Amino acid sequence: MSPTFQQPNTLRLRRQPKYPRKSAPRRNKFDHYAIIKFPLTTESAIKKFEDNNTLVLIVDVKVKRLSHKAMKQLCNIDIAKVNFLIRPFGEKKAYVRLAPDYNALDAANKIGII
Amino acid sequence: MDTEELKGTRNCKKSSGSEVLCSAIAKIKTRDFRGKKKEELLKQLDDLKAEFSQLFIAKVAGGAASKVSKIRVLRKPIARVLTVINQTQKENLRKFHKGRKYKPLNLWPKKMRHRLNKHKENLKTKKQQRKEGLHPLQKYAFKA
Repeated sequence: MSPTFQQPNTLRLRRQPKYPRKSAPRRNKFDHYAIIKFPLTTESAIKKFEDNNTLVLIVDVKVKRLSHKAMKQLCNIDIAKVNFLIRPFGEKKAYVRLAPDYNALDAANKIGII
Repeated sequence: MDTEELKGTRNCKKSSGSEVLCSAIAKIKTRDFRGKKKEELLKQLDDLKAEFSQLFIAKVAGGAASKVSKIRVLRKPIARVLTVINQTQKENLRKFHKGRKYKPLNLWPKKMRHRLNKHKENLKTKKQQRKEGLHPLQKYAFKA
């Protein structure tokens, strides 16, 4: 007999609630309109359109990944990769590198930021 | 949500067609939305939000003052549509749960929702416990 007592495995039932505690799940407030706030049009951002084929966007701080759906809200682009940084005032900036078959300048024109 | 539709609205933002769309959106009255179906309401919400997000882009790109001032204007219509959506949802849920024994907690009446539980109601300070202990309810017996 071991000196420590370990709880024996008992039957553990799943919850069968008689009523849902919340009547309806909360609506998703973090929809893809809330993800991307606006694109940047500073001089260094415009330089990125031309030289590096990237778009520079301000996104919500809680964003971890930029989904295709969220980018579609701006325009129909393919993303190669995204780098994030947090600006000193607390906003998150996303450098969105577009896939090689898309042109950042064209995309910027379509969005309307040039 | 249609991408084509989105593209359509975006491309027509530079034409005068968008002005018509804008004024139509700005005249949203809640009473018009009360009877509508959920899909219609969600679609309207989507349209409004799409227009709303466009205005930020216009602001950044140095857009017309009319566009930038529209940001403030559009917040209330979006709120109205959301209010209608949430209110009708809650109303339908109440109807669904009416008469049932067990209801979800947010459909309970306000007084019941904010009740203290039994333990908290019966908590007493040491002082009060002592007072009650000093003079408990006495039981007497009569000699027959």
